[in-house]
Amino acid sequence: MEATVRETVEQKPERLLDRQVIDDQEAVTAAATVGKPFVEAPKMAMRNVNVFYGEKQAIFDVSMDIGSNEVVSMIGPSGCGKSTFLRALNRMNDTIEGCWIEGSLQLEGQDIYDPKLDVVPLRARVGMVFQKPNPFPKSIYDNVAYGPRIHGLVDRRADLDEVVETSLQRAGLWNEVKDRLAQPGTGLSGGQQQRLCIARTIAVSPEVILMDEPCSALDPIATAKIEELIAELSENFTIAIVTHSMQQAARVSSRTAYFHLGKLIEVNDTEKVFTNPEHELTEAYITGRFG
Amino acid sequence: MNKNTQRTIDLVNRNLAKRYRAEKRFRFYGLLSISFGLLCLVLLFTDIIGKGHSAFLQTYVALDVHFDADVLGIDNIDDETQLTVANYDGVIRKALLERFSDVRSRRDKRQLYALVSNGAGFDLQDVFRERPEQWLGKTETLWLLADDDVDTYVKSRTASGEAFTGRLSENQQRWVEALIADERIEKRFNTIFFTSGDSREPELAGIRGAIMGSLFTLMVTLVLSFPIGVAAAVYLEEYAPKNKWTDLIEVNINNLAAVPSIIFGLLGLAIFINFFEMPRSIPLVGGIVLTLMTLPTIIISSRASIKAVPPSIREAALGIGASKMQMILHHVLPLAMPGMLTGAIIGMAQALGETAPLLMIGMVAFIVDIPGGATDPATVLPVQIFLWSDSPERAFVERTSAAIMVLLAFLIVMNTLAVWLRKRLERRW
Amino acid sequence: MDNLHLDQHISQQFNTDLEELKTQLLEMGGVVEQQIIDAVKAIENADGSLAEKVLITEDEIDKREVQLDEQATMVLARRQPAASDLRMVMAVIKVTRDLERMGDEAQKIAKMAIALNEDGEAPRGYVELRHLGTSVQKMVNATLDAFARFDVNTAVQVAHDDRNVDREYKTAMRELVTYMMEDPRSISRVMNIMWALRSLERIGDHARNIAEHIIYLVKGLDVRHTPVKEIERQIQDA
Repeated sequence: MEATVRETVEQKPERLLDRQVIDDQEAVTAAATVGKPFVEAPKMAMRNVNVFYGEKQAIFDVSMDIGSNEVVSMIGPSGCGKSTFLRALNRMNDTIEGCWIEGSLQLEGQDIYDPKLDVVPLRARVGMVFQKPNPFPKSIYDNVAYGPRIHGLVDRRADLDEVVETSLQRAGLWNEVKDRLAQPGTGLSGGQQQRLCIARTIAVSPEVILMDEPCSALDPIATAKIEELIAELSENFTIAIVTHSMQQAARVSSRTAYFHLGKLIEVNDTEKVFTNPEHELTEAYITGRFG
Repeated sequence: MNKNTQRTIDLVNRNLAKRYRAEKRFRFYGLLSISFGLLCLVLLFTDIIGKGHSAFLQTYVALDVHFDADVLGIDNIDDETQLTVANYDGVIRKALLERFSDVRSRRDKRQLYALVSNGAGFDLQDVFRERPEQWLGKTETLWLLADDDVDTYVKSRTASGEAFTGRLSENQQRWVEALIADERIEKRFNTIFFTSGDSREPELAGIRGAIMGSLFTLMVTLVLSFPIGVAAAVYLEEYAPKNKWTDLIEVNINNLAAVPSIIFGLLGLAIFINFFEMPRSIPLVGGIVLTLMTLPTIIISSRASIKAVPPSIREAALGIGASKMQMILHHVLPLAMPGMLTGAIIGMAQALGETAPLLMIGMVAFIVDIPGGATDPATVLPVQIFLWSDSPERAFVERTSAAIMVLLAFLIVMNTLAVWLRKRLERRW
Repeated sequence: MDNLHLDQHISQQFNTDLEELKTQLLEMGGVVEQQIIDAVKAIENADGSLAEKVLITEDEIDKREVQLDEQATMVLARRQPAASDLRMVMAVIKVTRDLERMGDEAQKIAKMAIALNEDGEAPRGYVELRHLGTSVQKMVNATLDAFARFDVNTAVQVAHDDRNVDREYKTAMRELVTYMMEDPRSISRVMNIMWALRSLERIGDHARNIAEHIIYLVKGLDVRHTPVKEIERQIQDA
């Protein structure tokens, strides 16, 4: 047969991807980030970030920027540190015992880990949406109103009503829940709950929204609605999203960062990552070649 | 069909019957255990109710009492002192003598007088003082409290005429029979049991004092142990770093929950009474001692319910920018509250039934007065039960059982309250 | 077995799907290559029956094209391939199209063979035809080799070769036009040869397209409408 004849042609093929590289931990640890990790006038700038859980180091020397009003997705195999890195961005790791962070993380030039910086206003500026929809066991209204209330953003009841309404509208949930604002948020469907959580997050008008696998507990239709929402939100907010679904990263983000064993392997335009990634590990991951 | 051609399903079917038998056996064992438990409970209740139900009735004797001013020693009915010191026992004795006019000897007279309770005179005084001017010099038919021996005799009397005579002499039995024949003996609902304090005389003894004592003790315990327990649990769960010290504290809390309660009593005796020189027998000290005893229970259950609050709720609150205190007050505590309340009520129920530590701090004393506050000497329900069960009079047997029934009723109410509160406050998330 | 590691997916089925695509494509390429050889031979030897065979085989190529498209669509739908896998599927779709066009051109050459049989032999042009035929056939062969081994160097070589083929074609054209001016009676017959030469030149262009697809497949560089020098520079940089 023609094809088999051709393969026996004597000429050593050029090897693009040596399998050994994947298995070689040292090669991974030594790897430097390829692609375009830095942007001009970044919203958040992270330099040489190391995260430790006690003795164990979870993040190795990660440097990258998140630009204003862009959607950056972070992908990588389980345990690659992408969630850890995301949680470092609004100091959610503070709640974990024995977790400490080295390096510089800046939000508009201000050091996030400055001991003098209060974590409460930081989290009002950098909001977070979690993997599992986690509305408070309170009414839909109270869920959204909680943030503005504790931060004292509004004084009058009418203003609060307005904030709740606009937040729910922006989260694309208003039409579904406007007649039952007093009902518990936990009574909504999974996708609605997640949008409620997003509404709750944007009610305090954060600058950056961090999303930690926001669709992993949702069905495809709810996922599609959230993705649509992310696209709309990116006009006003800077969004960093961790996802297990590579297709999702490809759909929603403008830049994609690939993490592997705690290292940031590659940051590039999403289009580039999904058609022609620079690093062989990225290639191996997004084409499903880890064995 | 030979062995090789046997299909898997045949092998499965062969074992199926055996599996079902084993399953049935397994279920049967469980049923057996529950039946055994229920049987014991039924036996206990039948025994207690069988012995105790009669205590809710009390025997009264009807006598034609003549309020003779001379016998009473009253010449001025407006004089309070005279009304108080008047010889009410005298008029009762005279009424008895009139009823049984054949009694002559001093010994027989004394036996006759013993048919009526020592407390009858006080009852008479209460009744008389309401309208002295009407009754002075008149004769009234009044129901007077019978003595406990008479009470026991009447209650144990059967249709065939057999009865528990106890300390009643032949003469006394004859008199009582005569009174019964005249329909001058009657059993009424025993209000004394619920309205008076302890007494040496069974017919005058009640549990009000013990109930009030228990109430004050529990109030002190609740007021102290719930806030302290919840605060400790919140600190340990939310703020304390996880290190060897907190491990040590945790081990010790768990240990304390298992320490025999009498040890707490000894501690209370040594510290509060000997060192701080607080008075003995008061609910305040009892409450403090019981607080020490119930704290571990409350801390452990509160920690468990705080731990049970999903971490996602905490993250949600923190993610929006709530401070740690806001997170705890707005989200963790409301969600943990049903569990913590249940723990507290179970701790309270445990404290309600506790005897040993209270014995050590002197709440076992014989106290007739009904306590009016946490600093009046008092005893508590279980101690009262313990005291009565130790008393020689036959009539205390039924009162012991009756007190146990009251205690059980309180426990059931408290535990029901715990279940109800849990249902009421529980929120789904 | 190859430098794109198509056989190293976690999903064995995915490996098989991609392997199947590649094998099918190379088989189709083999058939097209044979068509070109046969068509040129039919003119050289004035072999009418061989030309007929080429016309018949053309149907098979069309069928293979449809089949390959279906398979590629299925892989896209089922696997949502990314990176090299995505480029592989895209390349297969594009290469299939070029192969099918090559088949069409071979068919045209065969038709010219039949026409030459009917009109009579052309007085000139056979040398040029043999020459160009050999060059183009080598190019096609090299292209398929490059695809089989995902070999960028060979692909670049093919792009180079296409320039030579174009030059040869222009030379032959000029010569034949000059001849026709000298002997106008032979115009219709010489035109048949010229059409065949034109088809060969088109086949060369398609081979170059395929080479560009291979560079895209292996390097992720889109080098369409780019001079060869520029292609070489980009490959150097990547």
